[in-house]
Amino acid sequence: MTGRERADRRQALRLLAPTLLALGALTVYPGFWVVWLSLQHRVPIFHVARFAGLDNYVFLASDPRFWNAARTTVVFTALSVALELALGVTVALALHRQRRGRRLGLSLLLLAWAMPSVVTAKLYEWLYHPAAGLVSVLLGGHALNWLGDPYLALPAVILADVWRTMPFVAILCYARLVTIPAEVYEAAQVDGAGRLATLGRITLPLLGRIVMLALLLRMLDALRAFDIMFVLTGGGPAGTTETLTVYAYRSLFQMLQLGFGSAVSVVVFALVMGVAWAYLRLLRARAVVA
Amino acid sequence: MRRVLLVLWVAALTGCAGSAPERGAITLVFKYARILGPADPLPGLLREFEAAHPNVRVKGESLPWTSDEQHQFYVINLEGRSPGFDVMMLDLIWVPEFARAGWLLDLTPRLGPGELRPYFPSTVEAATYDGRVFALPWIMNVGLLYYRADLLRKYGLEPPETFEALVRQVRRIREGERDPALDGYLWQAKQYEGLVVNVLESFWANGTRLLAADDTVFPEPERAAEALAFLRGLIASGVSPAWTTAADEELSRRAFGDGHAIFLRNWPYAMDLFQARDSRVRGRVGIAPLPRLARGPRGAGSTGGAHLGVSRRSRHPDLAVGLVRFLTSERAQKALARGAALSPTREALYDDPELVRSRPDLPALRALMRAGRPRPVTPYYLLLSATVQPEFSAVLVGVKPPGRAIGDARLRLTHFFGALR
Repeated sequence: MTGRERADRRQALRLLAPTLLALGALTVYPGFWVVWLSLQHRVPIFHVARFAGLDNYVFLASDPRFWNAARTTVVFTALSVALELALGVTVALALHRQRRGRRLGLSLLLLAWAMPSVVTAKLYEWLYHPAAGLVSVLLGGHALNWLGDPYLALPAVILADVWRTMPFVAILCYARLVTIPAEVYEAAQVDGAGRLATLGRITLPLLGRIVMLALLLRMLDALRAFDIMFVLTGGGPAGTTETLTVYAYRSLFQMLQLGFGSAVSVVVFALVMGVAWAYLRLLRARAVVA
Repeated sequence: MRRVLLVLWVAALTGCAGSAPERGAITLVFKYARILGPADPLPGLLREFEAAHPNVRVKGESLPWTSDEQHQFYVINLEGRSPGFDVMMLDLIWVPEFARAGWLLDLTPRLGPGELRPYFPSTVEAATYDGRVFALPWIMNVGLLYYRADLLRKYGLEPPETFEALVRQVRRIREGERDPALDGYLWQAKQYEGLVVNVLESFWANGTRLLAADDTVFPEPERAAEALAFLRGLIASGVSPAWTTAADEELSRRAFGDGHAIFLRNWPYAMDLFQARDSRVRGRVGIAPLPRLARGPRGAGSTGGAHLGVSRRSRHPDLAVGLVRFLTSERAQKALARGAALSPTREALYDDPELVRSRPDLPALRALMRAGRPRPVTPYYLLLSATVQPEFSAVLVGVKPPGRAIGDARLRLTHFFGALR
């Protein structure tokens, strides 16, 4: 390494330092702190603070409420993200073909996305209202117990979440559609490709990357879903809509079990990291193949 | 003249605060939840306190909207050792927890003899931990039974003394009315704190408890299971609508207020709304104590409400205690009861002629308040409640038999309590 290179490297480190420090202070340090907490019995109001080893995790392994929350989290993520992608792409395609009213369509989409999820939840609380709810009216006055039935509550929560976040996917996809040059479609038309072939062979493959990105972002969000179920159902009935984040929140801030609650949080963190890691590997493998 | 007397009186109550003026202005920060009502009397009361203490400024800061968020706010700020407030409005179920954590000033040595006597005994019980008093009762609440007086009269019925009688009355009235939109008995079984309150009331109605004096949970599991099975039966048999399992206070209050139910369990606040000018049930609603179960001794409503406590790290404890005393005084509570339709914690106010004129239900409320029981007074109440909520909910939606839910809840609690020792 020449002196010049060494100086460059020092300069690079200096330039990186602020970012690294900020990340270290705001992410890495608290992250390790939570892991450290999760290895303790820690209940500050009882002045309990002692090392517990893996006790909290051992309890979690046989804790039905934890496994129930894990299952709910996975089902919620899979269904809501799948619906959001399917609907989002469809809406983007429809919007792109629209000659008039695109701007209005986009604004309406943004409105749903821009609404705080607590407001969305309150809105849906009214839509699902057993007597006066619009959903019951649409079903011909057949009142379903949306938020109080153990088999309907999770679908109801998923529906509300899809309504709120589908626009995010739609707008991403729409932005990509706008950038596809018209020549590509003209060439396809010259080659005699029908509508379906154009969609399947040109539009969707060109959307692929952006859909993959939306998939990652939405999955990471959905795995940490909290506010919509917290407001709509509080995790009930019978804990059927309690996600891992809601469970972590209850353990940390209501039961004040800092050690135990941290263990739940660590599991959520590991889950999110695992998904991100698998995803990046998948992308890399694809890039190599391509 | 009255004003001068008040100033003297407040000064006397706050002890030295008036006689030893400190240099520079002192700011007391008071954390409270916005009080809904036609006119919020609180800012006026705070100004009154300031007028009596010329060098003190009271800053009222509002708490987050929901009880969950308020608790979280307090825990983070008090545990972080940097509370920016002196006086706190507390949900009464937090008092023992915060006292145990060492966050509240022990008020016992500052209390005059007999100072607690004017309060309802159950409110004082809720403010007491380990024999010491950590807060003063401010706003009172109790669970009670609302009934459609017009319907009961039409069928020659009296408000039911037992739940079994309530079920019979519902059947009789619904048969007679032939109105499919008329529900029987509304209560709260959404998975939240209100569910625990409703289940506790059914336990008491059946002569048992959630937590015994020696900290045993479910001391008589069979009786508890019986009560839970009865509640599930109300929903399964249609006496209570299926959506009861999603109902909170407001959802059930609205349905009853729209005239769609015969009975409702709720807090006293609902009465003012039922008697409002545009209410559909105006003048047709009565209140009664919650019934008991046939095998139980007597029914009792759960108490609720707010207490006022002082942060142990307050830099002006004398003044802060003075403010608590002022706000819980008969005068201040009267202003609150008149302006915001809140129920006082001082028993005498329920027969105050001036108050009764604007709120004629007060004398009837007095006996109900007196009979109210606090939820388990223990520092780990929230742990208890958050643990039993999904279990009780599972019973009420019919996916778990009561016995198993009680067993599962016990197992979890034993684990958590084990880690506390």
